[in-house]
Amino acid sequence: MAPVDWIFYACLATVGLPLLAFGVIMIFTWRKPQLSLAISLVCSTIPLIIAWILFYTLRDATLAQPIIRQVNWMVSDTVIVPFGFLLDPVSLLMLAIVGTISWLIQIYSIGYMGGDPGFGRYYADLSLFAMSMLSLVSASGMLQLFISWELVGLSSYLLIGFWYEKFSASEAGKKAFVVTRFGDIGFFMGLVFLTYYLKDINLFGLGIADINSAAIAHKLTEAQITLCALLIFCGISGKSAQFPIHVWLPDAMEGPTPVSALLHSATMVAAGVFLMTRLFPFFAGSPTAMTWILLIATITLLLSSTIGMVARDIKQVWAYSTVSQLGFMAMGLAAAGLAGSTMFAGYYHLTTHAAFKALLFLCAGVFIHHFGTNDFFVMSKQGGRKLLIPMVTVTIGALALSGIFPFAGFFSKEAILGVLWSLPNKLWVGLGLFGAFLTAYYTFRVIFVLLFPRPDGHPAWEEFKDELEAASGGHGHGHASHGHEEEAHGHGGHEEHHGVPWVMAFPLIVLAGFTLILGFYQAPLEKFLTGESHPHEMNYLLLVLAVGCALGGIGLAWLDWGRRGAAWQGFIRKMPVLENFFIQKWYMDHFWRWFLNRFIYGTFSRICTYNDRRVVDGGVDAVAFSCIGSGRLLSLIQTALLQLNLLFMVLVLAGVGIYLLMGR
Amino acid sequence: MSSLISPQSMASGAFILVLGITVLGALIAVAAKNIFHNVLGLALALIGVAGVFLYLNSPFVALMEILIYVGAICIAICFAIMLSEPLYLPGPPRNLLKVIGALVGAGAVFVFFALLVKKTSWLPAAERSQDWSVTTLGHYLLTNYALIFEVISLLLLVAMLGAIVIARGGRGSS
Amino acid sequence: MLLFNQLETYLYLALVLFGIGLYGVLARRNLIAVLISVELILNAASINFMAFNRFLAPHPAVGQIITLFIMAVAAAEAAIALSIIIAVYRKLRSINVEHATELRG
Repeated sequence: MAPVDWIFYACLATVGLPLLAFGVIMIFTWRKPQLSLAISLVCSTIPLIIAWILFYTLRDATLAQPIIRQVNWMVSDTVIVPFGFLLDPVSLLMLAIVGTISWLIQIYSIGYMGGDPGFGRYYADLSLFAMSMLSLVSASGMLQLFISWELVGLSSYLLIGFWYEKFSASEAGKKAFVVTRFGDIGFFMGLVFLTYYLKDINLFGLGIADINSAAIAHKLTEAQITLCALLIFCGISGKSAQFPIHVWLPDAMEGPTPVSALLHSATMVAAGVFLMTRLFPFFAGSPTAMTWILLIATITLLLSSTIGMVARDIKQVWAYSTVSQLGFMAMGLAAAGLAGSTMFAGYYHLTTHAAFKALLFLCAGVFIHHFGTNDFFVMSKQGGRKLLIPMVTVTIGALALSGIFPFAGFFSKEAILGVLWSLPNKLWVGLGLFGAFLTAYYTFRVIFVLLFPRPDGHPAWEEFKDELEAASGGHGHGHASHGHEEEAHGHGGHEEHHGVPWVMAFPLIVLAGFTLILGFYQAPLEKFLTGESHPHEMNYLLLVLAVGCALGGIGLAWLDWGRRGAAWQGFIRKMPVLENFFIQKWYMDHFWRWFLNRFIYGTFSRICTYNDRRVVDGGVDAVAFSCIGSGRLLSLIQTALLQLNLLFMVLVLAGVGIYLLMGR
Repeated sequence: MSSLISPQSMASGAFILVLGITVLGALIAVAAKNIFHNVLGLALALIGVAGVFLYLNSPFVALMEILIYVGAICIAICFAIMLSEPLYLPGPPRNLLKVIGALVGAGAVFVFFALLVKKTSWLPAAERSQDWSVTTLGHYLLTNYALIFEVISLLLLVAMLGAIVIARGGRGSS
Repeated sequence: MLLFNQLETYLYLALVLFGIGLYGVLARRNLIAVLISVELILNAASINFMAFNRFLAPHPAVGQIITLFIMAVAAAEAAIALSIIIAVYRKLRSINVEHATELRG
């Protein structure tokens, strides 16, 4: 156990200050918005500064020798529960990411959530999230990580269902929590199996370093690693929305947009991929598990891209985009494990994705805040492109997402495609390229619709008549209980907003800046994370294919949505069967509802209810009734015939006495 | 002839008589149908017991027995008989099962105790005093056993009060 | 050995009285008859005490005192029992043991 020093206290402050903010706000100041805001911002800025300081001073740390600082938190006779922090390049980078984006979102929310009656509660929940995410990325023991994992799920539930008076929001919160919990069952089982196989460690003391070193030192057989890795991947697919339990993420868009930007694009959903990176040596020990993960990630990538092509709600498009990009990251990690390279590609994409996806969500938030509707067709009709800063930054984000040079997304996509290329079966890289094509298509569908609205009277507006009337009538999507009813009254509120408030524009500009420059830091980051730098032999064929796919997607989007004579109907309209399939989200929600009804309610619940009513209750009742019954039986002894009782007494006495005396 | 009327034989004969009176009285006390006969049988048995006490070197206790038991208790029982059910009414039919059960019970206890008596070796105490006087009895009553003496008087007081209360008919009836 | 100088004689006599009294307690239906039988049992116990007093006890006054106390207690008990019998007769109009069965299960 390393001695406790300034690093430990720094990490403790990083994790503890947001927790303190949560406690103080929830107990004392949640009715006072300004005070809550001040507390939360202070307790968010300090961890940010500490995270960057740690990132800078500990930049010589390596993966092989992480810096661990632990104390014994709870000690009983034989059980020691440690609490501590593990800092290696992976966690240092993630600390910086989480700290920065969380701070930016808190600033953005000043403008977005201003005037909302739950303002204090919102910042308390954001602080809780910050604390749990920071604790997750710096945890040294699996138990601490699991606890933070669950806390992150809790804050996600609180934030998704933030406008809890709205039924769909509270339902979405429940769905998110239950579905991710479902995956966490597998996670915990994986941990239990791990402690079972590693016989000298118990669940409390199981550390991340232990798992990785055990895998490297071949203390576990490959079958054991496969089992545990697949079980832990259940938890990862719950948190990072892989097929088939990705269904909670699109519903999570019921929460406020800054929450979507923070949790469901940049940080929380990345926690799963982060865990996979952390345990990468462990996962790499089982090619079988990696192949399965690759398959699931590919399905996720393609499935959600196709759904994103037909969505009308801008947040839904970005949500499905997040799901597919998470699949892409997982593909990168899985392929790296199979091909024997490092985890850099997937993790680098996580970093750049955090920047540009948060940017995309925040821009969408500006539009939603301004126009009071989530539907980007309606926004386009009402002159969305006139908001300069959001339009420019959303285009930058979209270019990064599609993988166009010189934005960050280009470099990270190239890295992942490069790893996929090195696999023997070229099918995977083909599917990855197809996913890139679809990504570019649906991304620029949104951009072109916003940029180039059709003229009034165009037949395309007929389709959206209902939404247009609803927007001008005063009810926007998902904002019925928002405090800004006056803005939802259509374009009447335009005159009050000259442009975008600076608290909302500032994070946009900062994130756009990150998107621009992160791409050029690929080599230093690779050296930092993995300690080795590949001289990139340029695979020109792959480069051409990738850029070609991206440009092809943009071009198709231009044809369908952007050019002057476009009919504003996607090419998918020509295959109505497929289009319906995509609109129904591949019937996944229907499948899960059927599964729930048939197996959980129909079988499992019924057995449990039967057990509860007949066995448990019946048992207790049977005890009670038998008491009563035996009491009734025994009461027959009370005959009130005095002499009968006396006779028996006398007979027993004499009988015992004679028996004892006869024996002598 | 002298052996027949020697003191020992006379004493033995008298003792047998006393035993017979006792047992006969007891039998009458439990077996007779008329309740008055039971009481008289009890009185007879208790007079026999007083005789037994005489043979056990305690004339004072024998006198007390006759005074208290025969003179007070039996008379009280007679009073109670007169205050209860009329004697001319026919009694309830005899239940054979009950009789047999009672015989078995009493017999079993008798056998048990008889075995106990037979199998125990009765050892007299090491030092036996020969002071049989009533003076010593009184002396002991007022010194060693004074507490019991007082408690008994309390008991008698309570019994008197209780008997009055119960027999009066409870509260409210005078 | 003379009959009246042996301990066992008196003990057996007491046993006989005890047995007869016990039979009376278990078999008689009249409450007063039960009381009479109880008096017989008490006297059997008195004979026992006096017998031990005569043959085994260290000091002869002790047994006699016990017997006197038994007599006092028996007197008190008889008084109470008789008043109870009178009260029972007043309530139930009968002093048959088998009629007083209200405490039934």
